[in-house]
Order: sequence, then C-alpha cells, then structure tokens
Amino acid sequence: MANDLTFWKNRVHVETSREDLETNRADLETSRRDFLTRMGFVLAASALAGCSRGAVQKAIPFLIKPEETMPGVATWYASTCGACSAGCGLLVKTRDGRPIKIEGNTESPLSGGGTCASGQATVLSLYDAERLKGPTWLGVPVTWQDVDARIEERLRAAMAGRHNLVLLSGTIVSPSTRALIAEWKARVPTFRHVVYDAVSFSALRRATGACFAIDGLPHYRFDRATTIVGIGADFLGTWLSPVEFTRQYARRRRPDAAGVMSRHYQFEAGVSLTGTNADHRVPIAASQQGAVALAILRRIAIEAGVETGAEQVDGAIDEGAVASAAEDLWRHRGASLVVSGSQDTATQIVVHAINALLGNIGTTVDIESPSLQKQGDDRSLAQLVDEMERGDIHGLMLYGVNPAYDFPDAARFARGLESVALTISFADRLDETASLAHAVCPDHHFLEAWNDAEAVTASYSLAQPAIAPLLDTRAAQDSLLKWLGKEPDFYAYVREFWRSHIHPTDARGRTFDELWDHALHDGVYHRDVPAAKTPPFRPSRAFTAAWQSAAHEVGGRQRSSAAPAADRYELHLYETVAIRDGRHANNPWLQELPDPVTKITWGNYLVLAPSLARRLGVESGDVVRMGIPDAQIELPAYVQPGQSPGTVSIALGYGRQHAGKVAYGVGANAFPLVTSFDGERQYHRGGVVLQKAGRSEPLATTQAHHSMEGRPIVRTTTLSALLSEETEARPEAASLWADREGGPHRWGLAIDLNSCTGCSACVTACQAENNVPVVGRDEVLRGREMHWIRIDAYTGGSEDHPETLVQPMMCQHCQNAPCETVCPVAATTHSSDGLNQQVYNRCIGTRYCENNCPYKVRRFNWFRYAQNEAFDFNMNNPVGRMVLNPDVTVRSRGVMEKCSMCIQRVQDGKLLAKQEGRSVADGDIKTACQQVCPADSIVFGDLNDPESRVARMRAGQRHYLVLDEIGTKPNVGYLMKIKNRSEA
Amino acid sequence: MLRRFVFLATAIVCLISAGLVAYEMSRVGVHQGYAPEQPIAFSHKLHAGDSRIQCLYCHFGARTSRHAGIPPVNVCMNCHGMLTKQSVDIEKLKELVERRQPAQWIKVHNLPDFVYFNHSQHVISGVACQTCHGPVETMARVRQQAPLTMGWCIQCHRSRQVSDPHTPAANLDCGKCHY
Repeated sequence: MANDLTFWKNRVHVETSREDLETNRADLETSRRDFLTRMGFVLAASALAGCSRGAVQKAIPFLIKPEETMPGVATWYASTCGACSAGCGLLVKTRDGRPIKIEGNTESPLSGGGTCASGQATVLSLYDAERLKGPTWLGVPVTWQDVDARIEERLRAAMAGRHNLVLLSGTIVSPSTRALIAEWKARVPTFRHVVYDAVSFSALRRATGACFAIDGLPHYRFDRATTIVGIGADFLGTWLSPVEFTRQYARRRRPDAAGVMSRHYQFEAGVSLTGTNADHRVPIAASQQGAVALAILRRIAIEAGVETGAEQVDGAIDEGAVASAAEDLWRHRGASLVVSGSQDTATQIVVHAINALLGNIGTTVDIESPSLQKQGDDRSLAQLVDEMERGDIHGLMLYGVNPAYDFPDAARFARGLESVALTISFADRLDETASLAHAVCPDHHFLEAWNDAEAVTASYSLAQPAIAPLLDTRAAQDSLLKWLGKEPDFYAYVREFWRSHIHPTDARGRTFDELWDHALHDGVYHRDVPAAKTPPFRPSRAFTAAWQSAAHEVGGRQRSSAAPAADRYELHLYETVAIRDGRHANNPWLQELPDPVTKITWGNYLVLAPSLARRLGVESGDVVRMGIPDAQIELPAYVQPGQSPGTVSIALGYGRQHAGKVAYGVGANAFPLVTSFDGERQYHRGGVVLQKAGRSEPLATTQAHHSMEGRPIVRTTTLSALLSEETEARPEAASLWADREGGPHRWGLAIDLNSCTGCSACVTACQAENNVPVVGRDEVLRGREMHWIRIDAYTGGSEDHPETLVQPMMCQHCQNAPCETVCPVAATTHSSDGLNQQVYNRCIGTRYCENNCPYKVRRFNWFRYAQNEAFDFNMNNPVGRMVLNPDVTVRSRGVMEKCSMCIQRVQDGKLLAKQEGRSVADGDIKTACQQVCPADSIVFGDLNDPESRVARMRAGQRHYLVLDEIGTKPNVGYLMKIKNRSEA
Repeated sequence: MLRRFVFLATAIVCLISAGLVAYEMSRVGVHQGYAPEQPIAFSHKLHAGDSRIQCLYCHFGARTSRHAGIPPVNVCMNCHGMLTKQSVDIEKLKELVERRQPAQWIKVHNLPDFVYFNHSQHVISGVACQTCHGPVETMARVRQQAPLTMGWCIQCHRSRQVSDPHTPAANLDCGKCHY
C-alpha cells in the first residue's frame, strides 16, 4: 500500500545571503585574549554564585481568599470565542486568576470541543502590550468621565439637530447586543446600524434571501453529506464556520467507524486547505466559479428533468470532473452538498438551485435554523461612504471593524471620515481607523467581558469574564448603554434579555435562575425547537423562475467575457488560516504558524503555478511586481503546484501599519485590490500584469523539502482496497535491543491521517500549552523554529493536479529511542510510562540527539527567547509573559527540547485519579493537540490497556508506524490516509 | 628534601582547596538552615506545637494544590478575631487587615524553576509534613531543615514501595519532576 507517487524536492529555494553568513562567521571568531577574559569571568562568577544566596523570594497570600480560587489549581470558565463570528464554545483555563489556555467546549453542539488556530491564539491577544490602556480623545489619554462628557454632549446636539448617527460594525452574533442596538434605533430615529465584513458573504446572503426568504445564511451540514462539492469555498480553513465544518466533515472520513466515507470534489483557483483534502481537486480560474456551478446545474437539471433555460457554455473547465461530480451528487441526492465561495449573487442562486434539485434542502442545507454569521452588507457600506463624502453623516461609531485598513479605497474612507463631526472607535488599539477617530473607547478583550452569541439560530452560547479587565477598558455595550442614558451594566442587560426573550421559550419548565445557571455553567444553551414537522422543501414557482434567470445571467456573463490577453492574468485574494482578515496580525503565535498549505510564516506572497513561473522566469522568493490599472504591489513569489495556471493568489490580512510592532512591516496589504461588482465585494479580478522586480526576498518557510524519498512515511490506501482487504499480519521485526521493562502504563498516541485536515490548530495549542517561544522571521529562515508539533506536507503527482498528504509530526516517543543512546549526559531518558523524557537542567546542548533523531522533531534553544530584546515578542514583556503555563519550564539557552506528550497533563491526570482514589480511566488525559483537534484525529491513551481507544485504533487495519523498518518502536502511531477516488 | 616538602605541601594545599571548591560548588543553591526574619514573628512552635493546630488547617492548599500556600489573613482571623490576647505581632496582623494589605512573607523553602513539586501528591501518599520540613512544631522561626537537593529527594523516592500498580508511588522517572 505504499505510495506510488513521485514526490518533489525543494520547491522553495531559500538561502541566507552569503553576506549574512560572512558577518555571522566574524561574530563567532574568538581570540585567545577573549577566551581568557571570558574564562576568568566564568570562574569569578561561579565563585561569587557559591558565596551568595539566591534572591529573596516573597510569598504573598490573599488577604481574603475568594472561595472559587485555589493558588496552583486551575479554574475553568465556560465562554464563547470572539476570534470570528462562528462563536465556538470555549472552556478557559485560568491559573491564579490569569487565563492561560483556551480549550474547546465539548458541550457545544456546533464546535464540539474543537477550536481553530486563531481561536487558540486569542488568549495571547489578551496580553497584547499594544492594547490601549484607557480611553483617548484626539489621541490624548483621558478619563472615562471626560470622554463620556464630550461624547454625550455631541450626541445630544446631534439628536437634537436630527443628524444622522451610524454604528458601523462587523457581524454581531450576540442577540443581546443586537437588542441593544435595536433599542438605540427605537430611541434615536436618525440612528442607523451598518454591518459589513472585511471578507464578505453578502452575495450568499442575498441569494439565500431571494431563494428561501430567510434573513441569514443556510446552516450547512457536512456530516450528512456523502458527496461534497466545493466551488472556491475553503470550508475547512476559513469559510464561514471552519471548526464546525471540520468536525462535521471528519465524521464522514472514518470509514472503519462509520461504514461510509464521503467523496469530496473541490474546484478552486488557489490551493486551499480544503483543496488539499479533496478526493478530486480541480484547478479553475477564479472567474470560472459561475461556469462550474452552471455546468453542474445543467447536468443535475437533466437528471431531474427540469429545464434550465441556460445555454451550453463552452468554457475551459474540466468537463470530465464536472460530469463525475454531478453523477455522484445525483446518486447521493438528499445526502450531498454543493457550497460556493462566490461573491456573485447569481452564482449563489445557481448553487442553491443545485441543492434544491438534489433535495438537499432540509438535509444538508438547513434553512429552518439558519446561520446568523456574516451579516455584512457591502452595498450599505458603499452607500455609507458616499454619504460620508457628502457630509451627511454627523456621528459614526466603529465597532469591531477597521475600514481604514480593509476598505478597498481606504483613502476615500479616511477622507469621508474627516467630514464626520464625531467619530468614536471601540478598537482595543490605535489601529488604522482608530487613529483617525476623535474618541477611542477601548472595548474589553472577549475574555474580560460578558456577552452571548447565537451563531446558528436557537444555538446560544454565553461568554463570561475569565479575568477582571487588565486595563482601563469598558465593554462597547456598556458604552452604548451609558450614552443611551442607561445603567452601563451589560451583564444585567444580557441577563434581562435572556429572561425576557429566551426563558419564555424554554420547554423544560425551569425557573429563569435555573436556566441561567445551567447555561452559564455549560456555556451553551440549545433552545428546543418545537417538533412540528415542517413539510419538505418544495421549490416554488418563484424560486424556479429566480434560479432560471440567475442561470441565464451566469451563462450570459461567461459567454460575454472575452478570452483574456496572453499576458493578462487573474488575481485571487484569500484569507489565511492564521491571520484571517488581518484582525490577528499582531499575534506572534499566528504570524509564526506555518501556513497549512505553503508552510510559510511571517508574511504574504504571490502564489503562482509552476507553468506561469517558468513563463515569467521566476522562482520562489523572487519578487514580482503585480500591476492593475489603479494599484501596484510587490511581493515575493511562491511557486505552488496545483495553482490554476492563469490565476495568481495573494493572502489578505497582511501589511498592517497600526496593529502593533509584531505586525508592522509584515507582508503587504492586498485589500486595495478588492473590487466591487454588482455592489458586492469581489475577491478576484482580471487584467493583472506581472513583472519580475529583479530582486529576491527569501520566504521564511518551515519545510522546503516535500519528498518522502521513496519511504512510506505517509501511507495511503483506497477505500475499496480497505474494505476488501484482510488485515495483513505484520511480522515482528527482530530487535537488537532488550525489551523494556513494562511499567503500569505505556502512553501513546494514534493519529488518524484520514480525518486530519492539516488545519494546524494543534501547532498553536501546543505552543500555548508548552510555553513554546516565538523566534521570528530571521530565525525561521535559519530553520530554527521551535514548534514541538509540525504538520508535514508531502506533495507529488502531476504539476497541475498534485496530491498533497499531510501528517502531524511530533516526538514519536520511541521505545528504542535513538536520541537516548547518544546523549552523553543522560539528559534524555525513557520513563517507566513509555515516554521519552527531556531533562532541561541536565542537558548540556551537544545536539547529538537532534542529529540522531530519524523524525527530526527535536528543537534546540539557540538563544534565550524569554526576556531578550532581540526576540521582542510576548515573552519579552511582563504582560505577555502572563500567558505562560506555570506548570511547564521556560527553557533557557543551550538546551534541547521537544514534545513531552504533555507530561504535565499526564501527571495532572494521574494526580486527579490519585486524589479520587481510583486508577486513570481512558479519556481522562488529553494532550493539548488532541483537545484542540476539531476533527478528533489525535487520540491519547494507555497502550497497555487493550480496551483503550488508542489501543483499539492501534489494533485496526489502517494502523502503521512511521519508519517502522528502523526498529525504533514508536509509541505514536498513524492510521493510513484513504483516498476515495471515483473510478471514472 | 626541601623541594620535595614544598612540592608535597603545595600538592596537599591544592588538593584541599580543590576539594573545598568542589564542595562549595555542590552547595550552590542549597540553603539548608535558611531562617529569614519574617515581617510578623509568627511562631509555629506556639501554634502547631503548643496549641496543636493541624498543619492543614492553615496550609489547606497542601491537600489539593501544588502549593501548600500561606494562609490568607481571614484564616488567621478565624481565631484572632475572637481571642483577646494581644501582642505586638498580633497588632501588626490586625493593622494589615484594616489596611487591607496582605503580609509579605519571606519564602523559606525555594525550589529551582525547573523542578515541579506538588504538595497534594505527597500529602495524599501519606508523607508527613515533617519528613521534608522538619519539626516545624518546635520552631519559633521556621528554618529550612532539609537540603532540598535532588539527591535528597531521590533517597526517599527510592525507598518508597509501590503499593498499588495503578497509582504508583514515588518512582525515579526524570519526568516525574522535570518538565
């Protein structure tokens, strides 16, 4: 079952310039005199150390200890994630009053215990040293009384003069906040609420309204879909609700458990995380999304015996793939799903029509309880900017948005802002927009505030403060209450909202306090929707007419689009998994998170196909100047196999000027390249000219070699082979080593490569849990990133249709560990529980172990990364250090480190069992990477217990060990990847 | 002869000083006998010895937490709120309560940052407080009785029997304390 693909080497050419090497060498040279000086200093210092006592340490107890906290014991609070509008349920771990780790809430019906990388990293944003310390007026720090007085005075004048007041916000999924805004509208007739999303879904929203007459987005159910077709929608990475979708998707990727496995077709321009996971990935130009949707619709309509009214369009799309996708969709009608990331309303209507004709409405496309995410409306923002320019807007409040950065014509927005008499920003820092506002009334971080969320209708989630506000901030809702002349107590407001709106519909007959206490404890509350069976969706005549006209429109547009000139290309803008729309730009964990597809950190780049790179004569790292009529942008190129040949891709969210020192100067801002069509923001455009800039800029990648060198590191099999094949008896290889004496436990991991999508949430979770330092771009360029877990990507096959295999790789905790035998000081040893331990205080830094590790998972501390000006990230300031896990040592310079299989959690689990007088049960202990995984791909447990989940996975047919042939006997095992290809 | 004597004497002096240096180096960070003066002259002899107050009454964290903990002032006031006896130090304590400021005690037992020690683990296993802290009930001012070196820890870990295979007692894995 080995791979028969040829995998590539070295697609990225990264080389530190020769000059750098020369200067480094000069630094390293030591003269005899220097040596003696240092030697003398060391001797004197050790003598002094021998005579002196350590610094006096103080122990300061609580004056009066709060009942719920115990120093040294973690307290957990259920809350709701504020990283995006998906509103995933969280459990926040606090130690001695400080939130130090975010975990998914397993009670949540949507996210079910999973989180994403950016959600994990938001705990670090809480300790961002760049946050505003308090309110400002015209850039000068003032008191809250002062700023309130100034604002209230101007607001009163505006209300009296019947001037227009606007609240411009991102999507608000909090029903209480929406109620508060409704109250503003009721009280102030000239008040208006405008919502926009930097990465907009307004076309899907408009199409959904037109087809199903609902105000929301459909709630997609990938767990019910046997055939999934994605058209430019990165639903596992960034699209709408990636954690929830990954969880649903993964359920259908475990054939041995579920008996069925979904087949996934992905049509897309750039290679997305979702695309690398598809069974069939078809590169299309960014402008062809409509054509693909229409081609599928035509085939489905023929099967369904419906007239489409659209003529056949000869496009450059892969008809074979469309035919096989349509065939699979029709075969699994009612259990199939088509989603599209298009920002064209007609295309989205066509996609709705496909789902309707397939009978998916009500099964995989839930419109009964629609998703309330992404409420943005591009047209109303465009209208607002027009009004601002005309001087019709008197007051503007900006909440959770940064239009001076992400509005395509930011300069125009800034100009418009000048004519507004009162601008108030609730931003937590002086970002691009807040620095232009009159007043900045910094909002709490979401971990400091009360809030609620309803991302999907009837699925509620509560957020409670896990820490008292660190700075002199105030919840934006409190500010809104205050200026409305009400008591600024949003907690009371949320409670009152729940009492008046949610409690009356509670079907369980509880008092309000009971309901509230349960909801607060669980973090989530699901309103039982009355069981009245709604009749299955029947396409109305109006709906049919709507989609037929949309199909006609899409077809007409495809026909009219002239073939592009040979030297004109298309541009496709996308969000990365880490930085998203730029809001997380100042988070060093996310900047250093290797992109799941390209493995590049710290910055964005221009992705182009190998064939295009050859034509332009560029290689990865060469700077390319990209020109469109009204803008120019220079970025290093990255050559990505599988990229659509005529389309180049650039990530949004970079090039932040006012986010803070971490984000400053990283990448280039691509938002000015966003265009508008039919009132909707478009993330692709044509007519792009590319030109070599004649210089190069190395890309800080963590993986430059994508070949397995003929070894079966990631093993794959096909579904049919798996279902037909008997379990092979694997012969036990003879070992030169004596068997280890078994202890009471043998901890191990099993990682299911089939459900793992490579989303990299585990990398950030591990970083948060284990105090893994951020090293910065220069050190990543030297290959010195410190992540204990990495996601290896192996890419092979043909250049246009490559196959990517991903594999989480961390210390394999070998029973016969090669690192242990070469350590001269026994700093890495084997525990009686089967773990390979690394003892920092014993390590002298020979790095023999790193060299002898066949899995290359050991990391060396080349520098002291904490309290070091050269590494000016969170560990260099006292606020940022508050995120450190007190149960894990902060490593010093010169020692080796690596995955400990979260030994602090193992110890904690054992201790808890001991305190309760029982033995450790399966599932008691979860490693950080396991806990975060939205796909539930990583399972920790005791291999000595044959009934444990990990042992059962290990006994399964798909299980194998990486580099089994060298006899290291790892305690970490993998389950083979299955490709569910259509035979056609 | 003289040269031999000088050589021998030098060698002996060198050896002795080398030995002394080596010994001193091995004691770096070892603070056995450390007994700092505290902001309030709290006597364990009076409380734990004469009055026989249980250790865990004040250091309740030792049962459930990594840290035994210094009692918050409200625990002190459980008794001192009712006792009429006064002294300079009790006055100091009451003044702290009025000023709403916790006492800044000097930590006596310090472990390096790379060691994980959990009180509750040991208390559950039936290790008496005095095993590590010495006869605190006789100390008017607490001093560090044990060397708190790794060798000293290991000595005990070696000798303790494995009672139940599922809740193993002390073992010698490095990862028991170092992570």
